[in-house]
Amino acid sequence: MRPFNFTKVTTVKDGITKKEDTGQYIAGGTNLLDLMKKHIAQPEMLVDITTISSSIKPLKTGVQIGAMVRNSTLTLDNEILTKYPLIAKAILAGASPQIRNMASTGGNLLQRTRCVYFYDVDMPCNKREPGSGCSALHGNNRMSAIVGWSEDCVAVHPSDLCIALVALDASVKVVEKNQKERIIPFKDFHRLPGNTPHQDNNLPANAIITAIEVPVNPFNKHYAYLKLRDRDSYAFALVSVAAALHLENNRIVDARLASGGVAHKPWRWSDAENFLKGKEANTANFQEAARIAAEQTKPLEGNAFKVPMLKGAIEVALQNCLTA
Amino acid sequence: MEFFDNELSTLMPAEGRVEAIAKVTGKGKYAAEYTVPGVCYAVLVTSSIPAGTIKAIQVDKAKRATGVIDILYHQNKPVVPGFADETKIRESRVGLPVFYTDKIYFKGQPIALVVAESLEEATYAASLITADYTAEVFNVDFVKTHPSIPLKAAGKERGTVDEWSNAIHIVEAEYTIKEEVHNPMEMHATIAEWVGDNKVKLYEKTQGVNSVQRVISGLFSIPRENVEVISEFVGGGFGSGLRVWSNTLMAVMASLQVKRPVKLMLTRPQMFSLVGYRPESWQKIKLGADSSGKFSGMIHQAKHTTSVFENFNENITRIARLVYDFKNLKTESAIVPLNLGTPTWMRGPGDCTGDFAIESAIDELSYKLNEDPIALRLKNIALKNDPESGKPWSTHFIDECLEQGATKINWKNRKQTPGQVTEGDWQIGYGMAIGMWTSGRTQASASIVLDKSGTIIVRTAMTDIGTGTGTAMQNLAHESLGMPKNKIKVELGNSNLPPAPSQGGSTGLASLGGAVMDAATLLKQKLATYAAAINAQYKDAAAADILLSENGISYKQANAQFISYADLWKKVDEPTIEAEATSAPGEERQQFAFCSSAAHFCIVRVHSKTGKVKVDRMVCVADGGKIINEKPAANQVSGAAVGGIGMALMEEQQADVKFGSLLGNDLAGYHFAVNADAPIIEVSFIDKPDPNINQMGSKGLGEVGIIGCAAAIANAIYNATGKRLRNLPITPDKVLLG
Ligand SMILES: Cc1cc2nc3c(=O)[nH]c(=O)nc-3n(C[C@H](O)[C@H](O)[C@H](O)COP(=O)(O)OP(=O)(O)OC[C@H]3O[C@@H](n4cnc5c(N)ncnc54)[C@H](O)[C@@H]3O)c2cc1C
Repeated sequence: MRPFNFTKVTTVKDGITKKEDTGQYIAGGTNLLDLMKKHIAQPEMLVDITTISSSIKPLKTGVQIGAMVRNSTLTLDNEILTKYPLIAKAILAGASPQIRNMASTGGNLLQRTRCVYFYDVDMPCNKREPGSGCSALHGNNRMSAIVGWSEDCVAVHPSDLCIALVALDASVKVVEKNQKERIIPFKDFHRLPGNTPHQDNNLPANAIITAIEVPVNPFNKHYAYLKLRDRDSYAFALVSVAAALHLENNRIVDARLASGGVAHKPWRWSDAENFLKGKEANTANFQEAARIAAEQTKPLEGNAFKVPMLKGAIEVALQNCLTA
Repeated sequence: MEFFDNELSTLMPAEGRVEAIAKVTGKGKYAAEYTVPGVCYAVLVTSSIPAGTIKAIQVDKAKRATGVIDILYHQNKPVVPGFADETKIRESRVGLPVFYTDKIYFKGQPIALVVAESLEEATYAASLITADYTAEVFNVDFVKTHPSIPLKAAGKERGTVDEWSNAIHIVEAEYTIKEEVHNPMEMHATIAEWVGDNKVKLYEKTQGVNSVQRVISGLFSIPRENVEVISEFVGGGFGSGLRVWSNTLMAVMASLQVKRPVKLMLTRPQMFSLVGYRPESWQKIKLGADSSGKFSGMIHQAKHTTSVFENFNENITRIARLVYDFKNLKTESAIVPLNLGTPTWMRGPGDCTGDFAIESAIDELSYKLNEDPIALRLKNIALKNDPESGKPWSTHFIDECLEQGATKINWKNRKQTPGQVTEGDWQIGYGMAIGMWTSGRTQASASIVLDKSGTIIVRTAMTDIGTGTGTAMQNLAHESLGMPKNKIKVELGNSNLPPAPSQGGSTGLASLGGAVMDAATLLKQKLATYAAAINAQYKDAAAADILLSENGISYKQANAQFISYADLWKKVDEPTIEAEATSAPGEERQQFAFCSSAAHFCIVRVHSKTGKVKVDRMVCVADGGKIINEKPAANQVSGAAVGGIGMALMEEQQADVKFGSLLGNDLAGYHFAVNADAPIIEVSFIDKPDPNINQMGSKGLGEVGIIGCAAAIANAIYNATGKRLRNLPITPDKVLLG
């Protein structure tokens, strides 16, 4: 770790003013500190923003989650548990209680990939060092993407929370360098790698995430989050599925289907969702939805298994929506 | 154990370990936690390439950084007599001649050590050091390389292959296991301090203080007693602490160089390349049987990785020669040098790996024969004699282990045809396998000290790496002396105490226990002599007649002919009465062979759509001879079994074949089993003393808890799904595509 300056701010405005281009905001630090220790992030200054909004505010249109709301808080909050339980389910499938106690909502969105090549500064990685090459493309890519990847990067976004958020059509509230507020739809927040994989997302430079907003929705009865991983706790997803159904007399009025562990960004299976709309909630339709999603994937040499796994996971997750 | 097995058990837990309070209150000190005045901090710089030569190291920037005291590297290091020349280096057998070579053998090899006033300063300065290399061709690809390395005989062939080449039933298959790392909770650490010109003191994370003493005294050409090694608390080892690794050496070198105490603790990432691992392996089994299910012969071939600078052979085929009665047996092996750190023993070394292949093949054979796998094993186990030496087993109760385990898990509910039992998308299956380990014993010493206040201290140099050795010493002293346990203290893990072997290979208690009991006898004899001067009744007292209590001693019965310690000490000049004993194996080793064994049973569920495997139940019945204290013993076995779940289902450390780097070096990415992956392990013991092995009748337990686990799980997956998976770990991808 390199020496750095440290400033603690109390307001978003102050944070934006104080942060220099060579600096970084720090929230829970659960990702940033690891990156600094491995010399992947080398900020010259840290701006501690842990005192910015940490409240969960019910709105008429939905709920606003402050950027500093800790992941564990989201799993205990009554508003979330009754109206947006998918969020809590997703969070509980990730990390460990200790990490969830530290991790913030904003930081979770901005956590970086877990691709092993990204973490080793002695190996090429376009995300870490643009232009150096992608070691995973023809290397060990068991954990890598099966959809939306490019020759330049096959890394996946590791978050669980974000999968629930993208499924629920959330949006990200940010304040830009010029102190102006802006709202970015969640599905447009993260990026596909293309030829600029060093950019994980569309957060403007020096901007602060202040909150996440989740609109009112009917997905608090029939929902499921299924995470497949190499061990049952404290492991990132091989494939995860957030599924939610709005049912009327067993007919699917609306459906949401998103996945983690498959792409550079939290991934929505829109075609599969569209297929489900208006259909009866039954195994055959679930299987067809899974097939539609799986058909859109393009696995690498080392992760062909993710396709049948995804298919199975979607089927099971949809099925679990009926029993959960 | 009922208390552990049953979540709702209302039983009181068995009493705790002697070191429990010190551990949970943080009072117990692990190596890096000692406060040593004047200590400075060392941080490693490691190579960024896997093979080549160092052309130049740029240390100037680092030297100028604040707090830096000195930087050790191959052109700036103190004299280590044991590294004086190539021959000496080879004879030292420490492996890597750190700072005494400019060669790079693997990525992550130490190339420099920064010593600074604080850890932060050393860490930062280390990041400023760069090196130029002449890179050379390297190889970390075991899968591609091993076919070109020829096999050699591993042990004498029994019978001939011709005799059974047309056996009616043959199973022939290959098995692979990926590299596994130990990574105990406590990272390897040393605080080294030269306390005189040729005297050094080490606080060290190790499984054997005397072995560290031996190696360091050899390397630095100083008398053994001038090396003091302290390792009172050890946060796990699993074999990684059985060797003296470069970190210890570097700390000693640095302290010599800067003439101050130096603390060096490996970082978690460094733990992945510098302190050994279970090598990646390939095996092939050919197993034949006649129509009655009698094994007619086996060929067992095995290869595993080693480093390019050291040969490590963990003897994977050894277990082929141990368990079953093969009239015809051929075992062959080879090691495959790669540009990786040197592997080392890891829990159940060799046998754990070999057992997976053999027990999988036997399971496969059982289905071919349509015979119950337990019955098939019982038909072929060498229950009377060690098939290798021909000597009779002193005791061997694997048959009873099998019987009890089968009852516990309700083996009769298992279906002989795979894929029969489902619950929704889950397929359910039963599996079993056995594990064995030769019960070793080596010379060990212990002493017992009694003071005037009626307090006992039992001492040995042996470490307690979490196995419960200290607690067992207390138990043995209590049983031998009659003194209440709360008056018996234990001191261990210090080279100034009576010498003892390293704690490994399931030999700890089996070696040490006898010394504790003998020391107790000696102490009682001494007490009898003093007592006789006070009360003539004690004149002819044998050791067994003497009973100790908190306040004094008695003759034959509690409180009979009572002499208080105060009175006794009127005849004693010293402040304490002390007895030391050494016990070692003897004649019995000529007459008998010794083994521990375990039968592992499990029920697994396999998800047909996602490939997920869950271990629902795991039963382990072990024969470790007499169990001294059931709680730590069961703890040993259940810990090992959880390790077995990891081995079977998730542990794998890979290297990138193109770049020679380990892929990942943290505990987020390297998956060992956690509580969520394991059911409550149902452990029980045969608990019959072995009359020949030592005074207590206790055989070792540390290894058999894991040997056999992986095969039991793989066999259960087959029973559930009909998929025979021969490559560990069995991650969900392998289940899906299998
Ligand atoms: C071992 C381990 C296992 C894990 N497992 C999982 C898992 O299974 N699933 C999962 O989803 N996550 C997992 N995580 C990741 C964890 O959820 C994230 O590290 C955490 O959410 C990040 O939040 P933080 O507040 O600690 O962020 P920090 O580390 O403080 O920051 C991360 C990044 O976000 C930036 N940042 C933070 N807040 C803001 C803001 N308000 N505005 C602008 N920039 C900001 C920082 O500058 C930094 O670049 C795991 C982490 C670890 C270490």
